[in-house]
Amino acid sequence: MAAPKKLALVIGSGSVKCAAALGIQRVLERADIKLDMLVGCSGGSLYAALLALGYPTEKIAEMSSSLWTHDLTARPNRRALLQAILPGIVKFDERFSLRDDRKVNQRLEEVYGQHSFEEAKIPLYITATDFMTGEMVVLEKGPLLPAVRASMAIPLIFPAVKSEGRMLVDGYLADPLPVGVAIREGADIILAIGFEATNQSRLSSLGRYAFQFTSVMSNNLLKANFAFHNLAHHSEVLLVVPEFEERVRLFDTEKIPYIIQVGEREMEKQLPYLQQLLAA
Amino acid sequence: MEKSFELSGKIGIIVVKGSVDALTAPHLATFISEQIAAGHTRLVADLAGVDYTSSAGLRVLLGAVKETRALGGDLRLANIQPDVKKVLDLSGFTSILKHYADRDSAIGSYGG
Repeated sequence: MAAPKKLALVIGSGSVKCAAALGIQRVLERADIKLDMLVGCSGGSLYAALLALGYPTEKIAEMSSSLWTHDLTARPNRRALLQAILPGIVKFDERFSLRDDRKVNQRLEEVYGQHSFEEAKIPLYITATDFMTGEMVVLEKGPLLPAVRASMAIPLIFPAVKSEGRMLVDGYLADPLPVGVAIREGADIILAIGFEATNQSRLSSLGRYAFQFTSVMSNNLLKANFAFHNLAHHSEVLLVVPEFEERVRLFDTEKIPYIIQVGEREMEKQLPYLQQLLAA
Repeated sequence: MEKSFELSGKIGIIVVKGSVDALTAPHLATFISEQIAAGHTRLVADLAGVDYTSSAGLRVLLGAVKETRALGGDLRLANIQPDVKKVLDLSGFTSILKHYADRDSAIGSYGG
């Protein structure tokens, strides 16, 4: 008898849009399909971690709504301006950020502070990027808090996270949809939920300019990596790309119920084929 | 999945319907290879009836493109449906494959 197929869910970067993964999980639960591993990148790591810990989707929606709010980036890092203008005097280093990260650290502490990878009911992999080499770093052991924090350390916005001698930043810089991690861990079937970064309608500020610049690069990186992983491996990749009719901005957590609904709708489309694959 | 072959002048039209996925892709790959072996190297895949493709489907398309181009021909796509277009776009396929809004445009793209 053939070995049972290993099913992975890979949640790519996409801030609050990653809540669509909860819609996928709801469809899988209704069909009594269990995941064998979870991979999360950036915003996707927030959800991958909570799903792996076994929280119900309703609870995760509630937790992420109170975690990911606009005031996370409200407080500027006052030192940053001086660092930028006088890098020799006010020491400029790899932990430079325009925003103060105390609030985000506190919120993440409340949700993930007591948890570790070892507690996960489903094997969990969180990706970050070694800022000094560009390599993807897959985190899979120890406390969850630094892993999630590193995975979502958007350069310029939040400071990098120091870990075992490396400076870790947001996983999307290495791969916005790290399907390769699931392939390496032996997944036969991979549900990949990915999001292209939204283009700015107007480049009317330095922030928007920087976002557009990074969006262009990360979208091209997403396509290049995804093409490679689709073609170079035997694993079957089922791409879930939620189409949002309503505009979803970075901190639109009030839209989480809608986002989950869209995720459910997209997963429903894939379900018959997934069931066939699992039965084959 | 259903597949059929017809000729429009010297251009071979492969009409595909249904899902192109891991369960059906091997049949499609064999079918296309048979047409190429029969000397049809300038091909159009009419995907009007294809509502789904996964990575296995992408691999078949790329294999067919490589096979036909090695023989001086090509595989060009027509009538790509929105859900399939999303996958082709995100995997960068629309930048390496020629694709057209309808079958006549795809056939016409080969010139005389």
